[in-house]
Amino acid sequence: MFLVGIQGVPSVEEKSKTTKEVDPGEITSLQNVQDELRLRFCQNPLSPALYGYEKERRQLFDLIKRTASTGESNSVLVIGPRGSGKTMTLNSIYNELIEDDNIRENLLQVKLNGLLQTDDKIALKEITRQLQLENTLGDKVFGSFAETLQFLLDALKCGSQSSKPILFILEEFDMFAHYKNQTLLYNLFDIAQSDQAPICVVGVTCRLDVIELLEKRVKSRFSHRQVYFLNNYNFENYCNICMSYLRIESKPVSSDFIKEWNKQVEKLSKDGTVRDVLQQQFNFNKDIRALHHILMYVVCQLNETHTFPTPSDFVEAMKVTTTDSKSAMLHGISILELCLIIAMKHLTDIYDGEPFNFEMVYSEYAKFAQKRSSMQMYEKAVVLKAFEHLLALELVKSTDGSGTRIQKEYRLMSLLIHPSQITDALQKYPQCPTEVKQWASTSVI
Amino acid sequence: STASEVTPHIPGRSRPLMSPSSVLEEARARLHVSAVPDSLPCREKEFEDIFSFVESKILDGTGGCMYISGVPGTGKTATVHEVIRALNKAYEDGELSQFKYISINGMRLTEPRQAYVQILKQLTGQKATPDHAADLLNKKFTTPGPRKETIVMLADELDLLWTRKQDVMYNLFDWPSQRHARLVVLAVANTMDLPERIMMKRVASRIGLTRMTFQPYTFKQLQEIVVSRMKGLKAFDSDAIQLAARKVAAVSGDARRALDICRRSTEIAENRSPSKKTNILVGMSHVDAALQEMFSSPKIVTIRGLSNQEKLFLRAIVAEFTRSGLEEAEFSRIYTQHISLCRFEGLTPPTTSQLASICSRLGSIRLLLVEHGRHDLQMRVRLNISQDDILFALKKKQMFDE
Repeated sequence: MFLVGIQGVPSVEEKSKTTKEVDPGEITSLQNVQDELRLRFCQNPLSPALYGYEKERRQLFDLIKRTASTGESNSVLVIGPRGSGKTMTLNSIYNELIEDDNIRENLLQVKLNGLLQTDDKIALKEITRQLQLENTLGDKVFGSFAETLQFLLDALKCGSQSSKPILFILEEFDMFAHYKNQTLLYNLFDIAQSDQAPICVVGVTCRLDVIELLEKRVKSRFSHRQVYFLNNYNFENYCNICMSYLRIESKPVSSDFIKEWNKQVEKLSKDGTVRDVLQQQFNFNKDIRALHHILMYVVCQLNETHTFPTPSDFVEAMKVTTTDSKSAMLHGISILELCLIIAMKHLTDIYDGEPFNFEMVYSEYAKFAQKRSSMQMYEKAVVLKAFEHLLALELVKSTDGSGTRIQKEYRLMSLLIHPSQITDALQKYPQCPTEVKQWASTSVI
Repeated sequence: STASEVTPHIPGRSRPLMSPSSVLEEARARLHVSAVPDSLPCREKEFEDIFSFVESKILDGTGGCMYISGVPGTGKTATVHEVIRALNKAYEDGELSQFKYISINGMRLTEPRQAYVQILKQLTGQKATPDHAADLLNKKFTTPGPRKETIVMLADELDLLWTRKQDVMYNLFDWPSQRHARLVVLAVANTMDLPERIMMKRVASRIGLTRMTFQPYTFKQLQEIVVSRMKGLKAFDSDAIQLAARKVAAVSGDARRALDICRRSTEIAENRSPSKKTNILVGMSHVDAALQEMFSSPKIVTIRGLSNQEKLFLRAIVAEFTRSGLEEAEFSRIYTQHISLCRFEGLTPPTTSQLASICSRLGSIRLLLVEHGRHDLQMRVRLNISQDDILFALKKKQMFDE
């Protein structure tokens, strides 16, 4: 539950420095607010406001409701990029539907996920288990794969308009299309197209070309209804969504603190720095899940001396989420390794991207170390160790796989660092010798 | 194993269903693919052929097979079911001797040899392993015994009964040629030349030459199908039906598709009606909207919904392709292009990590085809859409969000 505890609890001397008396009531209310927001960002419950998908939600809602109330069988695919709120929408629809007693008593839900049910056999057992058919006892399903399939089909065939409708939700639908013969999909769609127990099959996937994966028979039985969740909101909406996530509506804590909190959030929404950060994030990635990561970082920074989020928190969060992993790695390598990387860069430039081997890199390095620098020239064995370290970090990659029996000095390699990253790293490298910088910047050709 | 006493069933509803209240709801119920009419329109000739074939075999007390093919959604299985219904009626009227009907479907079996288990279960109610069931069936069909009735068997999705030794198919078509079997097999599959393509000579020869092909429906036939289901209801404008029929006939001639489109257009008509009016006519505009939903590819809309950097990345790919003249590019090259495009547009250039995540995002929705991420800078990127589509979607006006 607690991913990150309250960070930065001030030490004793810091506490004595703070002149501001901290009200203990405020701390508990801050903790409550943090708990509430953490739940919102990490556990993916229903969002405070579902923005921009009213039409799509309406369509899915009507479809599932018709299955539940009039026993009409349907099939539909929900398609959209990852993190665009597909599962959340379905959950909120289901929760809204079962508020109605009539529907709650008359709707069975079966949830499958292509990552968990990796073949038809497991998926069938899971369906039988979730429906609690007669060949299950508790959580155990009896009988072989063939018997389970037969039993399930017979059960659905005996069903008619008077049996309970079943809502099948297939997450990661494209994985189901990779099973042998697509048996499960064929049977589900076939039942949805025939006069048997009423079912509604909802596939959820992020692939736009998912229909092309279906076999022709399965495709013919699928009703070709597709609902698309595409993030088509503009920046103004995006800011509003962000602030609605930070606002607290419920009353878990004393209302004074909440009022103050919401006032601060309101202030943030007008702040230029925050808007800049959000604009940068919006340019890069529009989905809400990525926004959660940033907000989560902001919320985790709060503690008893720093009770409200500030614009600098947002800037910090942005910095943390957008660090380039490779530049960070380059800051942590030794000077010798850096020299080798520069030598490789030169080799790549000279030979126009052709792969190189250790011997070439070593001779390039030796040329530099003997003629142009006052630095110490290392022995070959040491340089080889450094080279192998780069290989282990995967900054260098062997071009012909690791299974070859060539000696390691002669194995062909290629560099996995973009020239711009090297320039970047050299500028930020702590105490980088001047001659190394110069060697890097001289063009070889 | 499961006890034989268990009865498969789905729990019943606590309250009965609501009956359709409006004209459109009634239309929807009739348009549902499961509401198969008693006699299929536009399939009278095929019905006649199959009926007379099976009837003659029952009257003579001999066996035989027939191979039926056609693309999905052309009414093959429905016609066979109709034939069986008609034969049952003829038996009740005392014109035919009794027969037994069993059906197997290749898609509903976990493996081809389970077909034996199914057949045995439907014939005698016994349960057995596939090998044992095969022996029992062989004995049953090959030894002379007091035979009472002809067995009519429907083998649907025949191509999935293919095994390397082809023993399942061989047996299915060999049994009818036994003198004492009195078995009529109706084999149904999609491809016309299946016997010649995947079967051994000795299996294909046993199928014989009694074959029938179900042609895809023409637009007139599709129109007739929808109109016959709408008999006595004033729900559709006749031009609207014609539009749906013509569109589907041009693509596949699949009756399921036509019915689904009409059903979807009734929903659209209901949603668009200003108030709860009871007599709405489904017009051309509604059908057109349904067709757009079901046939259009949303790639252009998807591209317009991407973030600015993602759009720029697509442009960088197109630029790199134009530069190199190939249809495939390395990630590092595209990165170089992307940075120069960023400078041109005045955006902060992303780091390689960010760009790699953009690339994998576009790969996961399949706008791009990308290699595994472990190749890093050497990952090769291809487009899954045409370059024209990208250029069209990213016209200057829609390039950047406000």
